[in-house]
Amino acid sequence: MTILENPLGNKPGTLLKNGMTLNDHRNAVLARTEETGYYDGRKELTFKDTDPIGFERIFSKVRAGVVNSREVAKKIAASPIVEQEGELCFTLYNVTGDCVVTSTGIIIHVGTMGAAIKYMIQNDWESNPGINEGDMFTNNDCQTGNVHPCDIATIVPIFHDGVMVAWVGGVTHVIDTGAVGPGSMSNGQIQRFGDGLQITCRKTGINDTPLRDYLHESQRNVRTTKYWILDEKTRIAGCHMIRDMVLEVIEDEGAEAFDEFMYEVVEDGRRGLIMRIKAMCMPGTVKTVAFVDVPYTHEDVHVPSTFAKMDSIMHAPCEITVKPTGEWRLDFEGCSRWGWHTYNTNPVAFTSGIWVMMTQSLIPTERVNDGCRYATEFRLPKGTWTNPDDRRTAHADAWHFLVSSWSSLWRGISRTYFARGYLEEVNAGNSNPCNWLQGGGVNQDGEVHAVNSFETAACGTGACAVKDGLNHAAAIWNPEGDMGDIEIWELAEPLLYMGRRIKTNTGGYGKYRGGLGYETLRMVWNSADWTMFFMGNGYMNSDWGLMGGYPAATGYRFEAHNTGLQERIAEGKSLPLGQDRDPRECEYEKHLGPDATVKRDKQCITTEDMYANGDLYLNYLRGGPGFGDPLDRRIVDIQEDLNQNFLLAEFAEKVYGAVFTTDDEGVYTVDADKTAARQAEMRKERLARAVPVKEWMETERTKIIDKDASLAVQQMYASSFYLSPKFTAEFKEFWDLPADWELPEEELGTPMYGARHTMEIGDLPDVSPVIMTEE
Amino acid sequence: MNDLTNPVEVLGIDAGGTMTDTFFVRADGTFVVGKAQSDADEANAVLESSVDALAHWDTTVEEVYPQMVTCVFSGTAMLNRVVGRKGLRTGLIVSKGFEDFHRMGRAIQCYLGYAFEDRLHLNTHRYDEPLAHIHDTRGVTERVDSKGGVVIPVRLHEAREAARELIEQGCKAIVISFLSSYLNGTHERAVRDVVEEVKKEMGSDIPVFASVDYYPVRKETHRTNTTLLEAYAAEPSRAILSQLSDRMKEKGAKFDVRVMASHGGTIGWKAKELARSLVSGPIGGVIGAKYLAEQLKIDNIACSDIGGTSFDMALIVKSKFAMHQDGDMARLVLSLPLVAMDTIGAGAGSFVRIDPYSNSLKLGPDSAGYRVGTCWPEGGVDTVSVTDCHIILGYLNPDNFLGGILELDVPRAKQCVQDQIATPLGLSLEDAAAGVIELLDLSLRQHLRAMISAKGYAPSDFVCFSYGGGGPVHAYGYTKGLGFKETIIPAWAAGFSAFGCATADFEYRYDMSTDIGITEESTEADKQDAINTLQAAWDELTAKVLEEFRINGFAPDQVTLTPGYRMQYLGQLNDLEMDSPLKSVSKAAEWDELVGTFDETYARVYADAARSPELGFGITGAILRGSVETKKPSIPHEAEGDATPAASAVIGERPFYYNGEWVTADLYHMESLVPGNRVTGPAVIESDATTYVVPTGFETWLDGHRLFHLIEV
Repeated sequence: MTILENPLGNKPGTLLKNGMTLNDHRNAVLARTEETGYYDGRKELTFKDTDPIGFERIFSKVRAGVVNSREVAKKIAASPIVEQEGELCFTLYNVTGDCVVTSTGIIIHVGTMGAAIKYMIQNDWESNPGINEGDMFTNNDCQTGNVHPCDIATIVPIFHDGVMVAWVGGVTHVIDTGAVGPGSMSNGQIQRFGDGLQITCRKTGINDTPLRDYLHESQRNVRTTKYWILDEKTRIAGCHMIRDMVLEVIEDEGAEAFDEFMYEVVEDGRRGLIMRIKAMCMPGTVKTVAFVDVPYTHEDVHVPSTFAKMDSIMHAPCEITVKPTGEWRLDFEGCSRWGWHTYNTNPVAFTSGIWVMMTQSLIPTERVNDGCRYATEFRLPKGTWTNPDDRRTAHADAWHFLVSSWSSLWRGISRTYFARGYLEEVNAGNSNPCNWLQGGGVNQDGEVHAVNSFETAACGTGACAVKDGLNHAAAIWNPEGDMGDIEIWELAEPLLYMGRRIKTNTGGYGKYRGGLGYETLRMVWNSADWTMFFMGNGYMNSDWGLMGGYPAATGYRFEAHNTGLQERIAEGKSLPLGQDRDPRECEYEKHLGPDATVKRDKQCITTEDMYANGDLYLNYLRGGPGFGDPLDRRIVDIQEDLNQNFLLAEFAEKVYGAVFTTDDEGVYTVDADKTAARQAEMRKERLARAVPVKEWMETERTKIIDKDASLAVQQMYASSFYLSPKFTAEFKEFWDLPADWELPEEELGTPMYGARHTMEIGDLPDVSPVIMTEE
Repeated sequence: MNDLTNPVEVLGIDAGGTMTDTFFVRADGTFVVGKAQSDADEANAVLESSVDALAHWDTTVEEVYPQMVTCVFSGTAMLNRVVGRKGLRTGLIVSKGFEDFHRMGRAIQCYLGYAFEDRLHLNTHRYDEPLAHIHDTRGVTERVDSKGGVVIPVRLHEAREAARELIEQGCKAIVISFLSSYLNGTHERAVRDVVEEVKKEMGSDIPVFASVDYYPVRKETHRTNTTLLEAYAAEPSRAILSQLSDRMKEKGAKFDVRVMASHGGTIGWKAKELARSLVSGPIGGVIGAKYLAEQLKIDNIACSDIGGTSFDMALIVKSKFAMHQDGDMARLVLSLPLVAMDTIGAGAGSFVRIDPYSNSLKLGPDSAGYRVGTCWPEGGVDTVSVTDCHIILGYLNPDNFLGGILELDVPRAKQCVQDQIATPLGLSLEDAAAGVIELLDLSLRQHLRAMISAKGYAPSDFVCFSYGGGGPVHAYGYTKGLGFKETIIPAWAAGFSAFGCATADFEYRYDMSTDIGITEESTEADKQDAINTLQAAWDELTAKVLEEFRINGFAPDQVTLTPGYRMQYLGQLNDLEMDSPLKSVSKAAEWDELVGTFDETYARVYADAARSPELGFGITGAILRGSVETKKPSIPHEAEGDATPAASAVIGERPFYYNGEWVTADLYHMESLVPGNRVTGPAVIESDATTYVVPTGFETWLDGHRLFHLIEV
């Protein structure tokens, strides 16, 4: 038998025109960037400066190409997540894996696929398995830059005349990856090994054809095979359309101009962000913080291992520094440790994901690319939940922590807009977009199925400094939000809607209130075996409000079993339809059979539980936080909120000091004079209740010294203290604690499995992880 | 003078917000255009405009109306009524528990119609007022599931109460829209009957609309919005059209006024589904292009219409235009079948700026509109527009802009382009202005190309028609290098939409969602069921179409029926619409023929790799179109003469900047050119309404139909 010399791969150094390997080439680009402070050492934008029209021509062509390809490809999909919610994105990268231009869609993927490309480059995919014309690679590995396993990326190298000139990647958010829990952002599993199928930059196609072994294997490993395969076709079709477009641009504009463009545009993107920051923000430092709950001791959270059975809290302090040069730095020193749950993230989720937010206010343009990352310093300390130091971590619902921590970034950056006078740009923090309704079983068509409702893409938005937030409009990860049509969701889910109403009282109070969320009540219908679970924040708020504005309403869950509804329907009795207007009133329970069992509490994270036909599940999509002192709200706005059923009367009185009457038809009239008088009283009551900050701090300090806090709070701080001596020192200094005061995790008695002994992905043989942030 | 051997036969009316245009056509294709200021009394404006038009022929309304055979109306009044929320107070009855869904809209409606950057920019999003107020909304207990089964039987006593309350509190119309009624309309119809009863008892005669009677198609937000429009906006329009019809009859008219509708046909003003005439303006051009293409025996046309603010594109393939199932208009998602058009917010009057953050050229999305640009100081515009660049480069004639009504200040335009564009980019004045034009044309060209390739075709399969006020200026730029078979510019490009309206068929189209699925495991009996379901849907739609024609006085045997269907690989959310290869179906074996037509189309649109026959096939919608022949305007037929234009057609020369150099362009008067004339670039052909630019490297000739052919040489 003849042994071929390297039958898989390429002879190293044959892909690029310059004769370098991809890795050497990338390192050279990085070195030039590092040395000069300009991407690839491009201090002068030679192409753009000498031929601005020609430069713009290429930009316009490639940008239109990726956008149009997305529009066409998305119609192939069957998943409402892709087709209705638009959870797909195509991105063009230069050969080093830096993003040049990205389509509309979920802009977080500016960098996630780039991280996979860089991983392939750095780990010499060039020689094995080889990178050839017509190849396809698939990645969804969270240790290789992916946010969570359900974002599946197809990556295709682009060649022109035998020379590699670019990469194109397409990503779709699939409904299920075969994790322990059904649905794309599930919980229950606590380690990577339960997080579902993970594909590490695998070569899954050659000669433009997907490989059958991969197709068979991947379909066996997920629940929703039809969606899986059509999503796959969607990504491939889009990548190939973009590849054709690139080749045409090269034909029209010349290979040399295209090559120049692919680097210069990144430097152009870097400068673009700097210009925006200079225009919009105030130099200086803003400190902010966010928390969110992981309530795992509850009996409805079933996890496989005792060490995961604990309540914990995510801690995300962040220091935003806007430099006079227009560059900025985001430092997450002091974050708590990663945990045995599915909410861990990796650094790329930050460095890439942050643009999904920043394009909503700071830089709303089509010109976002990896240049923005080069203008931003990230510090994500190793071992924290932002940068786990263990290869076992699960990431399925990384968004639980991301959205919670980003809400504080939004508040922080809004302060700098406010300082510069851009009141219209202020957003009080946006909502924590949840609940995530997920589950699975055998659906109305008799197939094994999983569901993952994206109704959460239309939560209430945070209030602005000149107007209320928008009701049921967007999510922090997608400004182009949509709740979708009921008749479409009912095709995808064996869950009959019993109501869809605006959720009263869920927008945070304020001079400008947050946008309201909404609620949909679902009855399990026509399924065989069915399960569901809840995923969201319940005990804690992460969307706090700004400058006196209140947080949005907290979460809660409602589920009902053995409801007797089918009998009540037959007998013509009253039914739970529509609103759970004031949860304290337990309205739904008034319309259930005598044997119904109801769960109504703050436990908003649960694991897979069984539901029979006729059982109920409330999907409550959150509101946004408020801005400014509620006592400054205009009377007409309070009255309108009452008349639109946006506000409970009790809180109009309590929070806004409104004094009002109602007529026979229930129409509210707020009395301006009486309200003003009541508000004046309330201001006095506030003063009477107030204590000087120093006094308050003294009481708090005593509590800290006495360790008078819940176990979860103590554990959270203990993990931050362990990971960051700097944070510990600042904390102690701020609270003026004795030098010997300490809070070691060891004294708490909480499980510490994984707290001290870890193994990173980079410790595996032959693995070189890509690191793009300060750790 | 009235000429009985060459009677005036066709009238097209375009009632815009500011002007009401009329377009009269004689049997031989000659036409006149009239203008009048739009009036709250639309009938009045139409008459005034008619008088203005007919004066060109030295005749009168009283003489002409009796000889005319057809009249098509299109207008923006209904759209304005919706945008300004000035419709009928409408009550809404929905499934109980869903009282908010209409006012919630779909979140997509809070950024619908936005330019890309504003779609990202969250704080710019906003909702419009709902069409029905929450206090005029009532819920009735009922539910039908996603397979059409009744889960909660309707509780009619609640409907009775709801109807009474809504009428009592002053609603002028009632709309009923229940979830999944498109699959099972019994609940909606039962409630409709109850509301009718209550109405009678209360002595009220307000109209009642059940969504299932109008738009029995999937997606409740679309369906409800559209049915609401019938009540909220279309009923008031019906009253106005009725009045217009009466006034015309007083003047001797024997024709019935027809209205241009979103599906590309015209419908009677008595039509049940009048809301579909909400969208009509830009469609006219597509219909006109289709008609013209039929006359010229061209199968495939790429239509391009560039006005001051937007660029509209559409494709005609094998003499058919494509349809969008879920069009949107006035920031509302709708269930109206809509002639598929792609629109981008870049036009001949778009503003041009340097983006301060990226130091790059940015076109639009806003435009100078009627204020033209910095070249017209009275317009009050300080920002450079595309028109300014055209003036500077010699493309447009500053002394004959819009027929010379506006006096332009060229030095001011030059200064503005220099300061705002050229200096910041480090370019010469000419290169900056030419760069703007180049990028605009590039952008138009890309969109045109993308639209064609998205449907699975190449430009070489098409003849491009270019019209609209800006079409002839930009045609060379956005077609250059695309490889169209030919580019054709009608001499009446500026009035092409009004012409198009007058060419539209009298056509009703009804759609219905269906839930048919056949997989590899399906039996012959399953296929037979599928075939029966489809034919039953066609039968139901046929009855509706024939009823519409009956209202307008046509017997069933006068109507040509065309069945169609929407198909997908089972489980997909999108589908493709096609005409049925069979006029009717009855046998299981015919299923494969329906599948074959789809499979072929799909592979063309999405590439072969995307085909997924292993999933099975579903029919998601049945469609039925019915049409009757109408009188249409003829196109001109003139004998071809010399290739060399007469000396009288030459009106001078002008410096013209193209490809980085100043050259001298010959100027021609469009109306003085005769068929057969050939003009080689650089040349500019001017008329009052438009300017036709033929740069170096192009030539054009005028054919016997007064169509210019633009050729790259």
